[in-house]
This record gives sequence, C-alpha cells and structure tokens, in this order.
Amino acid sequence: MADLPARPTPGLPPLAPGWTEHKAPSGHMYYYNRETGKSTYMRPILEINSFNNLLAAPAVPLGPPGTFANYHPFDPLAAPTQFNPDPQQQFFQHGGHQQHNFPRGGSHHRGGHRGAHANFPDRRRQPDDRPKHRQDIPKCAPWVLVKTKLGRRFVWNRDTNESFWKFPPDVMKAVVDFDRIEREKKERRARGEPSDDEDSTMVEAEAEIAAAERDIEVEMADAEGDANMEGDDEYEEVEVTDNEGDHVESPSKRQRTEEPPEDHPLEMGEDDMAWQLAAMEGDYEDYDEEEEGLPLTEDDCKALFMELLDDVHINPYTPWDKILDDGILYDDERYKALPNMKARKECFGEWAKQKMQILKEQKAKQQKQDPRIPYLAFLHQLANPKLYWQEFRRKYKKEPEMKDPKFSDKDREKLYRDHIKRLGLTQQELKSDLSAMLKAQPLAALNRSTTLASLPPSVLTDLRFISLPASTRDPLVETYISMLPPAPEGAAESAEEEAEVAKKRAERERREKALAERERRVREEKRKQERELAFGKGRLREEEIEIERAMRVGKDGLRGQLDSFEDDRQER
Amino acid sequence: MPPIRHPARHRKPPPEGFEDIEDTLLEFHNKMKDAENASHEGKKKYEMLWPIFQITHQRSRYIYDLYYEKEAISKQLYDWLLKNGYADPMLIAKWKKQGYEKLCCLRCIQTKETNFKSTCICRVPQANLKDGRDIQCVSCGCNGCSSGD
Repeated sequence: MADLPARPTPGLPPLAPGWTEHKAPSGHMYYYNRETGKSTYMRPILEINSFNNLLAAPAVPLGPPGTFANYHPFDPLAAPTQFNPDPQQQFFQHGGHQQHNFPRGGSHHRGGHRGAHANFPDRRRQPDDRPKHRQDIPKCAPWVLVKTKLGRRFVWNRDTNESFWKFPPDVMKAVVDFDRIEREKKERRARGEPSDDEDSTMVEAEAEIAAAERDIEVEMADAEGDANMEGDDEYEEVEVTDNEGDHVESPSKRQRTEEPPEDHPLEMGEDDMAWQLAAMEGDYEDYDEEEEGLPLTEDDCKALFMELLDDVHINPYTPWDKILDDGILYDDERYKALPNMKARKECFGEWAKQKMQILKEQKAKQQKQDPRIPYLAFLHQLANPKLYWQEFRRKYKKEPEMKDPKFSDKDREKLYRDHIKRLGLTQQELKSDLSAMLKAQPLAALNRSTTLASLPPSVLTDLRFISLPASTRDPLVETYISMLPPAPEGAAESAEEEAEVAKKRAERERREKALAERERRVREEKRKQERELAFGKGRLREEEIEIERAMRVGKDGLRGQLDSFEDDRQER
Repeated sequence: MPPIRHPARHRKPPPEGFEDIEDTLLEFHNKMKDAENASHEGKKKYEMLWPIFQITHQRSRYIYDLYYEKEAISKQLYDWLLKNGYADPMLIAKWKKQGYEKLCCLRCIQTKETNFKSTCICRVPQANLKDGRDIQCVSCGCNGCSSGD
C-alpha cells in the first residue's frame, strides 16, 4: 500500500489527532501535523495495531472497530455493539494473532511482510458481502442460520442478538443435521422426484449459485497465491456439503505456520451486518428481490426492443435498412437490449410480421366504404351544369375522389351526367323524388335515431339525395326522420338482415314462381296428352266402325255394299 | 414493342394491399432514378452498374420477404408486382434454391460468361478465400453472397 499513500475514498480510517489532510498540486493527498511540523504522504491513523501484540488476551474486542467500521461507507461510525459475530473470539481461539491482516481493511498498519502487493487487487476484486438468506435452524429455536451473498454462513441468535461465524457446539450439531436434510433433499430432486417444499428448492438454488461464486473467488485467490484470502477455517468446519473447503484448506494451513490466519478475511462490518439483519427482519421478500436484481431474459430483451419499435411508430412495411438509415432507433436505451444487429433484424422481422397481421385483420374488419359515397358528396358540392364532363374532369383531376382506382372513369362520367341532367328538373319534382326515395328506405335503416351524419349508404349512394342543394334538403330530411317511428327490435343488425330477408323472400318468390310455371307446363302437357288420347280413341272407333261396315258385305255383293255406303253418307 | 401506358384513370387498379407498400416502392423507384442519372465521373466502367444491381436486389428482396417470410401481401398482389417489374422473378426463383438464399445477382452465377467457366468470386465462401481478403465482385459490387457467409 505504500505506493498508494492516500486514497481519498470515503471510509478511510480516521486521522490521528493533530493531523490534517491536504491536497498537493500534483493531486496527491498529504497529511500535515501542525504541532510537529511534519508532513507525510502516508496517512497517519489512530494507532490500532496495539492489539496485535495482545496474545490470548480475551475479552478485549479491540480490533475490528477501526477496520471493519471504516469499511462500510454507509455506516462508518458505528461502534461495535453487543451484536458482534465475533471474529475476535475466533482469533483468540486460534492462538492469537501476531498480525491483523484484513485484506480489505484499508488499514496501513498492517505491518509484516505480507504487505500491499496482494492486498490491493483484492480490494477491487471482492464485492460486498451481505446477508442474503435466512433459515431457522430446526430444533434450535432462537438460532438462525444466515447465508451471505458470497455463500458464507453464520449463526445469529434472535433473542440475544448475538451472531457467530464460529458455530457454538450445540448449534453446530443442529446445523450439521440441517445440512444433511438439505443434502438429502437435493439428491432426491436430482433423482427427479418432486420436491415437496418449494421454498427449500429455491434456497438450494441460491446456495448453488453462491457456491459457484465462491469457487471463482477461490480460484482467483489461488492464482495470486494469496493464501490468506479464503482462510475461513471455522467456515469449513460447518460446510459439510461443500468440497470446496479442502481446496482452500491447504494454503491456509501453510499460512498458519508463519502467521495465524485471519478468521475473517472478508470485509463485512459487524454493525453493517446488524443493519442488514434488521432489514431482513423488516421486509424480507422485498430485500431479497432487490438483492437479486431483476433478471433480464432473452424474451424480455426482445419484448423491450419490440416496445421500442411500437413507440417510434414505424410503418411495419418499411424495410429494415431504411429504418437504420433514418437512425430513429439509436437514441433509445432499449436499442441496446439486444446484443447484435442480427438479433435486432430478426426481432424486427417478427415484429413486422405481427403488426402486418394485425393491420390485415383491422382492414378486414372495417367495412368497405362504397367509393360512390365520397364521389357523390364531391359532386353535390362541385357539380355545375355549366361544365361538361370533360371540363369537370380536367378541372378536378387532382382531387382524390377523381383518382380513386376502385371506381372506374366510366361510372364517374355516368353519374356526373345523370346528376347534371337531374339538376335541370324543377324543385318540386326533386322534392317529391327525395321523399319517395326516403319512404322507400326500410325502417331498420332509416328511423328516428338516424342523424344526418349517419344516414344509411343506400340513401347516400342515391342520386336523388344529392339533387337538391343542402340548404333545402337537410331540413326536409330532418323533418322526415323526426316523423319516423323508432328503430324496430334488433335494429343493430338491421340493414344486413333486412337485405338478407329481402333476398330470401325474393328467392322464395322466384322459386314459387318457377314451381307454378312448371306445374302449368305439366298440366298443359297432360291436357295435350289427353287430347291426343281421345283423338286416337276416336280414330280407333271410326276405324272399327269402318271395318264393321266392311264386314257387313252381304249376298247382294258390291251393290249392297255401295248402297250401304250411300246410306251412311246420308245418315251423316 | 413496349406496352402502351395508359393514364392512371384508365388503368386497372392494382390489387388489394398495394397502397401499404406503395410508399416504399416509390422510394426505391426514386433511388433507382437517382442511380440511373448519377454521373460516371471517376468511376470504372463496370462500377457504374453496381447501384442498379444493388437497388434491384433490395427491391426484389423486399417483395420476396413480404410474400414468403412475412406473408403480408396476397398472391394476386405478388403476381401483379412481378408482372409489373417491381421485382425480378428470376432472382427470386434462385433464392428459393438451397445455397442461393443470399444470391446478389444473376450475373454472378452465370458461368458461361466468364473466362474459366466459373462463378463469380462473391460466390466463394469466406472460409475458402485465401487469407480472408476483402473482395468486391465486378458484376454488382457484392462482398460475398454465398449462403455460408
């Protein structure tokens, strides 16, 4: 640390009395003692390594306040309270410490040969540790097992508000049992049996993550040869489930020969812990969520990007390249939700597909407006008997009504000519035509609830409707509408239904007509046949008579025969 | 003889849905006009045609995507667009073949026109090129359009 004498970070140990802090023109901080007239780059702090020399002198928890308390920016002044998960006690159990080496402590009075070289990088590497999960230890009532973010565990007594990294023997047993149960659960789940307790699975998942994190920590520590880093031996004692402990153990043992290991290498302040625990007590759920950070899955990213596309109101028919060229998307944060251009393009493709489908459906839902309606309204406004159709067309060829591709020019011309012809008629005729037209409308389409703005298309597409100027026509139509009875039941579906019914009726009439026609034809046929039959019978009878007569040839011979013929003729 | 162009009011209206893509097609049309009228100053002879090929490719791709990928336009409209020259049906026919999904232009696979009866350099996958050099083909300025790229 000698190379970094003054780090102007908050949470440095307090200056020794008499020293003041200044900034040199070079940007370095230096310290000046007015009384002695000395100045130094090294931060003179309260002498706290006095306790380094305390060997096995229990009950003097002197150490941490300087170091631990200073670590946490948000609680720098907290004094050690009775809440003390106490490293000191553990120090002394390990035979006392020659040195206090808090890797993150920020203390310059670290002394000893294991100086700054290893410690500075640690500062960057190690994230804050905080309590993360809390579980009641079964059969060990007031004690609670707390798991920190880095996967370490300590126990906390809810009643006395004591906490220990080193588990007390009675608690230890319960924790070992608890761990066994947890492990069994995990195995069961691994075998695919459903876990009965959702909560526990969550906790386990949590634990796995924590373990993974710790692995990383350990590896990094090994790489740097910093044996002191993870030497939480009391931790290993309890971590029955974790193999990682052995991994760490060997370096820490080597360490122990020259200097007693730190029980608590990490930076958690006791007061901080207390604060965190209080927070956990208060709103546990809430806290946990915050701790996790909201997870952002791939789908979320996509959804975000799609929302962005929605928000900028792009036409989905625009090609992707064009959107990029316009550069409307770049400013938004959500543009970066997706990692690369390919993903964005894909996402845009999906979005456009969806949008186009929606647009298509909307269009299908919208009833198609008859192109004649706007055209007739246009004629009503502008048609003039003084203009021939050609002139009229030339004059207004830019108007959208004149350019509508769905309506052919011939129809337009025809309507125009008819309209102009009608304009020559007298007012009286036009009025009577209008009222006749209105009377012909079915009640479902035109009734008391109709307004001028919501006239049925059958009225609007009629030439008789536009023949009169609006000033005379509108009052007429209004008075007629006010005289009408209200809409019949089920008027909502009126128009189409009416049309359908009319169609059905027409169909039926046609069928009946056809049937009658056929019957008539059949009857005629029958009559004809009968007549023919009768005729045939008559013929037959005549023939029979003739034969009979011929058979009557008597003795008088031909003469007699001829006579008889003559008789016959006379008879007739 | 070129088809006789009638004024808009005499022409049969385009199929349903054309108004949605009309603006984009008009933009392509304008771009194409600009490319046609652009000056040849300082350009190589073969370079002059590149923008034409590229715009044709983009426009065909746009219509192809709309019909085959996004299914946003009807068969009638698609056929109408092809008939009226908004997209190159031969190029689209190639895109449907495996290995030609990203083909840049038809000239690049026309082996008969090259000296060694081979396809264009842009059809060679990036991995097979020596030391991954950047290429730009002569026919349309493509940087590589083999489906592996």
